Amino acid sequence: MKKTHQILLPLLFISLPAIAGEYAVVSNQNMKDLTLIEIKAIFLKKITLIDDVKIVPINLEARDDLRLKFEEKVLNMSFSRLKTYWTKEHYLGHRPPISMKSQESIKAFINNVDGSIGYVNIENVEQNMKIIYKWSD
Amino acid sequence: MYKIVILLLLALSLRAESDYELGKGVQVASLPLYLGGYFSLDYRHMDEQERYRLDDLALLGYGSYEKFSYMAEFEYKSFYVQTKTPQNDRLEKDTTLHTERLYLDYNYDDNCVLRIGKYNSPIGFWNLLPVNVLRQTTSSPVSTDIIFPKFTTGLGGSYTSYGEGELHLELMAQNNEDLDNKYNNYKIDEHYGVNVLYEKDEYALKVNAGYFHKIDTINEPDNLYYYLLSAKYDTEKYQFLAELGSQYSEEKTTTPYAGYIQGLYRFTEQHIGSIRVESYEDRIINEQDEIAIVAYTYRPLYPVAIKSEYQFHSLSSQNQFLFSFSVLF
Repeated sequence: MKKTHQILLPLLFISLPAIAGEYAVVSNQNMKDLTLIEIKAIFLKKITLIDDVKIVPINLEARDDLRLKFEEKVLNMSFSRLKTYWTKEHYLGHRPPISMKSQESIKAFINNVDGSIGYVNIENVEQNMKIIYKWSD
Repeated sequence: MYKIVILLLLALSLRAESDYELGKGVQVASLPLYLGGYFSLDYRHMDEQERYRLDDLALLGYGSYEKFSYMAEFEYKSFYVQTKTPQNDRLEKDTTLHTERLYLDYNYDDNCVLRIGKYNSPIGFWNLLPVNVLRQTTSSPVSTDIIFPKFTTGLGGSYTSYGEGELHLELMAQNNEDLDNKYNNYKIDEHYGVNVLYEKDEYALKVNAGYFHKIDTINEPDNLYYYLLSAKYDTEKYQFLAELGSQYSEEKTTTPYAGYIQGLYRFTEQHIGSIRVESYEDRIINEQDEIAIVAYTYRPLYPVAIKSEYQFHSLSSQNQFLFSFSVLF
């Protein structure tokens, strides 16, 4: 029994990085490289133009798992803090990013609209997309 | 006539939006026009006075198209005010619809935005979100009322760049009368100001300085200069906010100092406690006061605020209790 533990425990730790999800902020190939602080500013609608092209950030729907991960890891803001932020922005005349139901819709939008930027699971990144930023669980 | 137009637009937009959420506004059909608004009901109790007020009944309209965006805000200020003292019972109603904000922005390039119209002077942090439902307490710090003009009617320009943090420079310029000068803390015909903001992670620092010219003054300085230093630290649980400023003319110092420091703790998303300490000396009205404020806010939803606060003044006749109910829709 003790021997089994000795074999299984290290295996468990080796396999952990493999099951951790990897995600990417993506756009089309025309988008310039962006820093993390610029990505945050885009999704908070502080940056609206890049190289004179209108920027269209795209979210997944409000309680989508990947959206919550993106907000926590990339925007560094909780769901409730973002709700507060967008209520204040409503008074200042700004709207939150548009939301889409699936990563497929985000990919289709990015392929068709210059300046659009969204996030998907790493395995959903297509060859014609540009990875702007990667993060993992 | 404008009331009919507003009602029509509201009806149209409510029909269009089935997934309406409070505090988000509604889009009118598929037009670049979003409508919203807010109101505030408050009660104040002092030793010898009670006041009931329906204040800030406002309608917002905004939108953007290509590189342009706009904001319009019309408001009934002090729509209904009933004041009771041992001597009398007074009722005042101001049914004039005031223009609080009306401006057009143009995104010149990636970093620069130009503005024309009437807007909240971008001075300090408090003055940018001055409506009851969005601020932390029913009352506003005295320093936000006695140092600089709350509104500017004229031109504005800003430059923003992103490096390690966010650097934001902004200029304000007014060389005409206010669009609605009843709706400003100072009646002015000139205002030039500069705003520098640096923001990184949870920290934000701001420096403001400017000059304005008051009109309709008698025996008071009318060419006034001001500066304001502000700092904010904001996390999920805590927020610290401090602003300190001064106002002076060429002849004398009109407000040697006015400032506050406020700490806020979010017990939960709905329950928020805050403490604010204020101090000021105003030589125009010859008043000096130190104030300590203890406040509690309940937000069943973020755009709905039920607030209470007690103010302890060094001028003890000013001690007061405030209660308010406000909604942003």
